Amino acid sequence: MSMSQDTENFEQLGRLLKLKRYEQPPPRFFNDFSDQVIARIKRGDRGEENGFIERLLSDAPWVYRIWTAFEARPGLVAAFGVAVCGLLITGAVLSEKTDIQPIALVPGTEAPADTTVEMAKAMAVDHPLLVRPAALEASSTTPIATPQLGGPLLEGLQARPVSFTFPGRN
Amino acid sequence: MIMAEPASRKASRPADRLAASPAEQPGSVEEMELVKRARRGDLAAYDVLVRRYQERIYATIYHMTSNHEDANDLAQEAFIKAFRALRSFKGGSSFYTWVYRIAVNKTINFLKQRRNKGQMSLDDLDFNAEHDPDLVALVSDKTPRREVGLTELQEKLNAAMQKLSEPHRLVVTLHDVQGLSHEEIAKIMDCNVGTVRSRLFYARQQLQAYLSDYLQ
Repeated sequence: MSMSQDTENFEQLGRLLKLKRYEQPPPRFFNDFSDQVIARIKRGDRGEENGFIERLLSDAPWVYRIWTAFEARPGLVAAFGVAVCGLLITGAVLSEKTDIQPIALVPGTEAPADTTVEMAKAMAVDHPLLVRPAALEASSTTPIATPQLGGPLLEGLQARPVSFTFPGRN
Repeated sequence: MIMAEPASRKASRPADRLAASPAEQPGSVEEMELVKRARRGDLAAYDVLVRRYQERIYATIYHMTSNHEDANDLAQEAFIKAFRALRSFKGGSSFYTWVYRIAVNKTINFLKQRRNKGQMSLDDLDFNAEHDPDLVALVSDKTPRREVGLTELQEKLNAAMQKLSEPHRLVVTLHDVQGLSHEEIAKIMDCNVGTVRSRLFYARQQLQAYLSDYLQ
């Protein structure tokens, strides 16, 4: 179809669309319209409660633009889907390859192989109030020997087995 | 009565009774004053604004839905929502564009929910339609189906409009039926002018195909 035919047909279409301008609501419809709106506002009518999508479309114009673009060109939806899937796959592949290098906390020193584990071990050994793991490995039949803790207040304290006697029992 | 066209086009048609005075132009100082008063809860001021735009808003929704009852409900709800949301109206655009946008969003949302369930409830044609030379020509010997009357043509036209997607129908409604400029439509639809033009071209092509029997 040539451009001139297109133009001519659009002109004819324009004439046909002119018909819609002659469509009119019932007589006196607009006489009461505003009164009805004001009456509903006075009654506290909030209009139909907005759905999530409607709120989103009106509050975020960029969402509306994307929405209308998708509607106008369904191919965009497929392209968008492919792009999202591609991003996910790329992210998954890259995360597999990522190797986090330990960072030395003190400049000039070498970073330990596993910084977190080393720090935990150091704290467990050096802190006076912490029980060494070996002390907890005693047999259940022997009393737990309290490790010799440092400090004048804790000196001499030792756990001893306690026996209870109940009245009425031999 | 011929509904819902901007003042620039209305003034050229003697049948139009809606010619707006300069003070009633969208975005005028007087309108901003009305908006301020309405924001403070002055319902009389809001009543003036509703009366000013009710026909255009109704017409837009009507041409989108092809249903009078739906258009009435949606137009009322759009004005109620606009009143409730007046505090959020920053004045970045005219009240006219802002309320149009509310009505359009509400209508598109409604149409998404109503999809495939809608029935047409068309407004009557004004008797002046029979005297419009363009329309007379359409039902004269130039039209392949000469037996078709204006009412049947109206039904076919509305059915064809309903086949368009909402964005395309909206562009045709605002431009070809209501006579808004590309720039005004771009503001209302929050897109660029190029998008409006391309949608309009595509929509016209679609309509032309649907209505080929009624076009020479």
